[in-house]
Amino acid sequence: MKPVLRPAIDGLLILVLVFLFTSALLLLVDTSPVEAYGHLLRGSFGSWSKFSRVLNVWVPLTLCSMGLLYAFRAGLWNIGVEGQMVLGAIGATAVLNGGLGSDTPLLWLGLALLAGMLLGALWALLAGWLKVWGGVHEIFTGLGLNFVAVGLVLWLIFGPWKRPGIASMSGTQPFPRELWFPTLEGWRVSPFAIGLALLVVLLSLWLLQRSRFGLELKAVGQNPRAVPLYGLSPVRYMLIAITLSGALAGLAGTLQVSGVYHRLIPAISSGYGYLGLLVVMLANFRLLPIPFIALFFAALNVGSIQLPMMMQLDSSLSGVIQGACVLSALLVFGLRRLQRRSP
Amino acid sequence: MSRILLRFALLVLLTGAVTSFAAGKELVFGMLLVGPYNDHGWSQAHYEGGRYLERKIPGARMIYIDKVNPADRPGVTVPMVVDDLVDKGATLIVANSDDMKDGIREAALQHPEVKFVHISGDDVLTGKAPENLSNLMGRMVYGKMMAGFTAALKSRSGRIAYLGPLINDETRRLAVAAWLGARYAWTEVLGKPADQLRFKVSWIGFWFNIPGVTADPNQVVRNFFDSGYDVVLSGIDTTEAIVVAQQKRLEGQDVFALPYDYVGSCQTAPEACLGVPYFNWGPEYVKLARSVLDGTWKQRWIWAGPDWKDINDPDTSAVGFLPGPALDVVNKERLQAFITGLGDGSIQLFRGPLDYQDGTPFLKAGEIADDKKIWYMQQLLKGMEGPSK
Amino acid sequence: MQIELRQISKRFGRFEALKGIDLTVASGTIHGIVGENGAGKSTLMKILTGYLGRSAGHILLDGREVACDSPASAAREGIGMLYQEPQDFPPLTVLDNFIVGRDGPGDANRARQRRRLRELADRVHFHLDPDAPLQQLTVGERQQLEFLRLLGREARVLILDEPTTGISDRQKGLLFEALRRIRDDGRTILLVSHKLEDVEALCDRVTVLRQGRVSGEESAPFHLPRLLQLMFEAPEGTAPPAAVPTRSRRHRPGEPILRFDRVSAPGERTGLHHCSLTIHRGEVVGLAGLSGSGQGLFLRLAAALIDAREGEVRFHGRRLGSDDHRAFRRSGGSFLPADRLEEGLIPGFTIQDHFALADGIPARRARQRARQAIERFDIRGRPDTPAEALSGGNQQRLLLSLIPEQADLILLENPSRGLDVASAEWVWGHLRGQYAQRGAIVFSSAELDEILAIADRVLVFHEGRVVRDLSGDAIDYHQVAAAMTGH
Repeated sequence: MKPVLRPAIDGLLILVLVFLFTSALLLLVDTSPVEAYGHLLRGSFGSWSKFSRVLNVWVPLTLCSMGLLYAFRAGLWNIGVEGQMVLGAIGATAVLNGGLGSDTPLLWLGLALLAGMLLGALWALLAGWLKVWGGVHEIFTGLGLNFVAVGLVLWLIFGPWKRPGIASMSGTQPFPRELWFPTLEGWRVSPFAIGLALLVVLLSLWLLQRSRFGLELKAVGQNPRAVPLYGLSPVRYMLIAITLSGALAGLAGTLQVSGVYHRLIPAISSGYGYLGLLVVMLANFRLLPIPFIALFFAALNVGSIQLPMMMQLDSSLSGVIQGACVLSALLVFGLRRLQRRSP
Repeated sequence: MSRILLRFALLVLLTGAVTSFAAGKELVFGMLLVGPYNDHGWSQAHYEGGRYLERKIPGARMIYIDKVNPADRPGVTVPMVVDDLVDKGATLIVANSDDMKDGIREAALQHPEVKFVHISGDDVLTGKAPENLSNLMGRMVYGKMMAGFTAALKSRSGRIAYLGPLINDETRRLAVAAWLGARYAWTEVLGKPADQLRFKVSWIGFWFNIPGVTADPNQVVRNFFDSGYDVVLSGIDTTEAIVVAQQKRLEGQDVFALPYDYVGSCQTAPEACLGVPYFNWGPEYVKLARSVLDGTWKQRWIWAGPDWKDINDPDTSAVGFLPGPALDVVNKERLQAFITGLGDGSIQLFRGPLDYQDGTPFLKAGEIADDKKIWYMQQLLKGMEGPSK
Repeated sequence: MQIELRQISKRFGRFEALKGIDLTVASGTIHGIVGENGAGKSTLMKILTGYLGRSAGHILLDGREVACDSPASAAREGIGMLYQEPQDFPPLTVLDNFIVGRDGPGDANRARQRRRLRELADRVHFHLDPDAPLQQLTVGERQQLEFLRLLGREARVLILDEPTTGISDRQKGLLFEALRRIRDDGRTILLVSHKLEDVEALCDRVTVLRQGRVSGEESAPFHLPRLLQLMFEAPEGTAPPAAVPTRSRRHRPGEPILRFDRVSAPGERTGLHHCSLTIHRGEVVGLAGLSGSGQGLFLRLAAALIDAREGEVRFHGRRLGSDDHRAFRRSGGSFLPADRLEEGLIPGFTIQDHFALADGIPARRARQRARQAIERFDIRGRPDTPAEALSGGNQQRLLLSLIPEQADLILLENPSRGLDVASAEWVWGHLRGQYAQRGAIVFSSAELDEILAIADRVLVFHEGRVVRDLSGDAIDYHQVAAAMTGH
């Protein structure tokens, strides 16, 4: 088998497995799979307005997944993406609050992007430091910092940043339109956000696949004990990787605030950090499949709204499909490894 | 597979036929639920209101989408869901959560031809709402008065606790109403001195338990019972209060509780349940839908009360109180008399003199509060314990 | 237990690693499997232990056909294997590893297991601290633990893959004694090795593999030239490897390159204490000593991979700090660890990737460099072969090829570990030819013979101290051996 062909065949195999599993499940509850798939498809790609919503999910999900990939390359499980996203959102909100009533909203939006990335990066660096100097595994610090981040955002929403009158779970006072990420008539997604995500994908493609830095990062991830022999400091690369990871998560958080919700809400991260983990695992930790898998997941998220609306079917079917994808992928990759195992 | 395809084709044909047949007078009624449609609480009450509407208006069809909140549906915003409902032909759309305030206003601006109802909101009062957006809420103050009244009748120690969610105008309003009901029962029915009644409010921080974020309602209720309070009124959307009360009863304590929101919630722990104040959205939905159908829609701020003829009439009463299995006959009669008094106006609990907690006057002697004064409840009242902010 | 293998074949894609192996091992014997690197020894053993599936063939134990299709099923049949690379859990302690390796519940009683570990260790005269974290042990000590674990599991068939690698002569003698004893208990032992002296000393019968086939079988007493012929019948068209240049004994040191000044550091089993010495240009220095006596620490301190607690290390007059391996490399130093795949190479990286990483060059040039190196160092692989797919000898060749040509201090830890005679000869030929004149070579080895044959200066380590520093004609087998054991 040609090596280029193999991932494609694996992908197909995974899809067939998922299709069989989901269809069986639907038939079991006496529902027509064809109808359900039809609704999913039409609900996500049926019109430009629907597709633009899919892109609205795709942008932050792709950013988080790319961020996770940097950490994975260095051998780190950056579970803290959620928290880093939240911190990014907080940074962006703080800046945009300063930009209320300003004549130069674009400047403030730019500053918000920088602040979001910076805060996300710092939050990630904290986990990185605890890992390399404190010896605490990044999964534990990541989880802990996620909790702290959620606590922080709730405190801000119900405390210092509460909307006039009643503090509400619905978040802070919405920003005026000029502080929204610019978009076009009939678009539910900002073209700038799409551009940023594409830029990140292309930059990462070069940085991770083509550049020397990418190779060195991968070496650190594969065997941190050996890389000193090649004159590389594993600690430095791990910190750089997790910082980049956090910056991308922070960027995603910023776009959630300025492009999607137009305010800070308690669940600003939308669980994309955890969903991103699934995306990256399904991509078998490779870069190129990530944008496509993220698109698939985003389409499922958006399309699944049709299920309760049209079929009185619980929309968690999308979650079932996503989970089935990952399990099938693990199965297929596992079989491959067994097959490939060499003497 | 071919059979499935055949079924699918048939289905498409059928739907097509039905749609074209009923096209003339169909009303598509859209609903955004914040929680699951079967949550035995706030969202289910709305869902059943929608089903009621379908039964009452021929040709009406509900399409709903539940769990509309950023945690359950990442990346899905209220305007997006509304776009979808409008695509599917919805001409009347209800959003059932305070959290949807901004989103539903934005959607209403984008779809001026569609009518919107925001539950529990005040955009009409504040003037922020466009013409096609109305507000609807039930006059739960009456339900809470009955709950407080019942609680005081059954309290031996004279110590009643109120399990509050977060602090805002609505929740202060409901806590105050409960206290007023309790005070009336204590002094006027039981004839005991007012200063022997203690009424304490504790806020957990949200409408339901979020571990690590809110106080744990189980723990709060347990503390109430352990420190001498023997009846707990729940102001939150879930049933912790009666569940804990039931446990304490099994341990031998003579304690009770009252849940909130949903007509069926006493079933969770019947022996401890004195009754439940609940919402019945169906009748108001039907009125709103008719106004859309016959073109008489007008922007309104609706605060629908009970039908005093029978507060538990499912066709007429927006707010009800269903006595629980734990309430005895004597007290049921006392409660009925209280309801009658409230209905005919002979009992008026929002009458001065009443002061806010900090001593500033809320109502002068003899003054009766108007709707706005009750709606925008600024503080808890003097005589209640617990924070106002 | 009698083992019978019938027509065992194994393919990896297009590559046929085993081409129909027939082999019968009598119960209660020590049976040798010999062959050069890549002959298929490891593959065959992994099939027998269930770690690899076979493409065809049957396995019979005492005449009964068994599946052996997973490590668990092989273990149930009583087959246990001692791997060349330790298969253990470095973060755990010795005792933990001993317990974790055991089958079945109810065995977690620490006190009982501790007693059992001690009994087994005493039986073969191994000294392991039950509470030491595995990370502090040398490769040799980890293999000892692995061996004890197998003994504790009462395996009826014991497979040993290069068991004498990395342990001292004395320990080797003890191990052999233990092996003979358990053979006499009725257990069957398969010894995989390319060291003919081990086979000669230990085995009752020997099967020789070459290129995936059985090329012959012999019984003790063995005729050495015959075995060599079976192993190394040179493939047509290739030149024989360069011979080891004999040690000159003309020891004329040049200028100092590396200087240790009262250096102490913790680590390994013994640490390193107050080490002061100087290495000069033109020297080939062998570090002798029981495994884990401070040689590894010495090499890593010299390479600036770890930090001295006291004293200082100077390389070309420049003081090396901690984490300064980059500076060490830039000034002309190179270090090759014993644990090639764990400490030297990057799994998942191809040969070409390793060049790109080591030299910081773009992919196309790295590919070119890889091609040249493959040819020059006779590496059996292609530029896109992953490092872990190379055999031990080829991994070593790859590491050697990564040393910059202008390097003038080469530090090697057990450089011929796991290599067959021909590969080891080639390695030494290359090293001496390339670097001995221009710079200095410092190497440790578990084989005293190798040190005596190669080095023109020998440092003997004992309990973390350099107890002898011998040059030229002063190097004497008995003196070194005695010093190693503390005499």
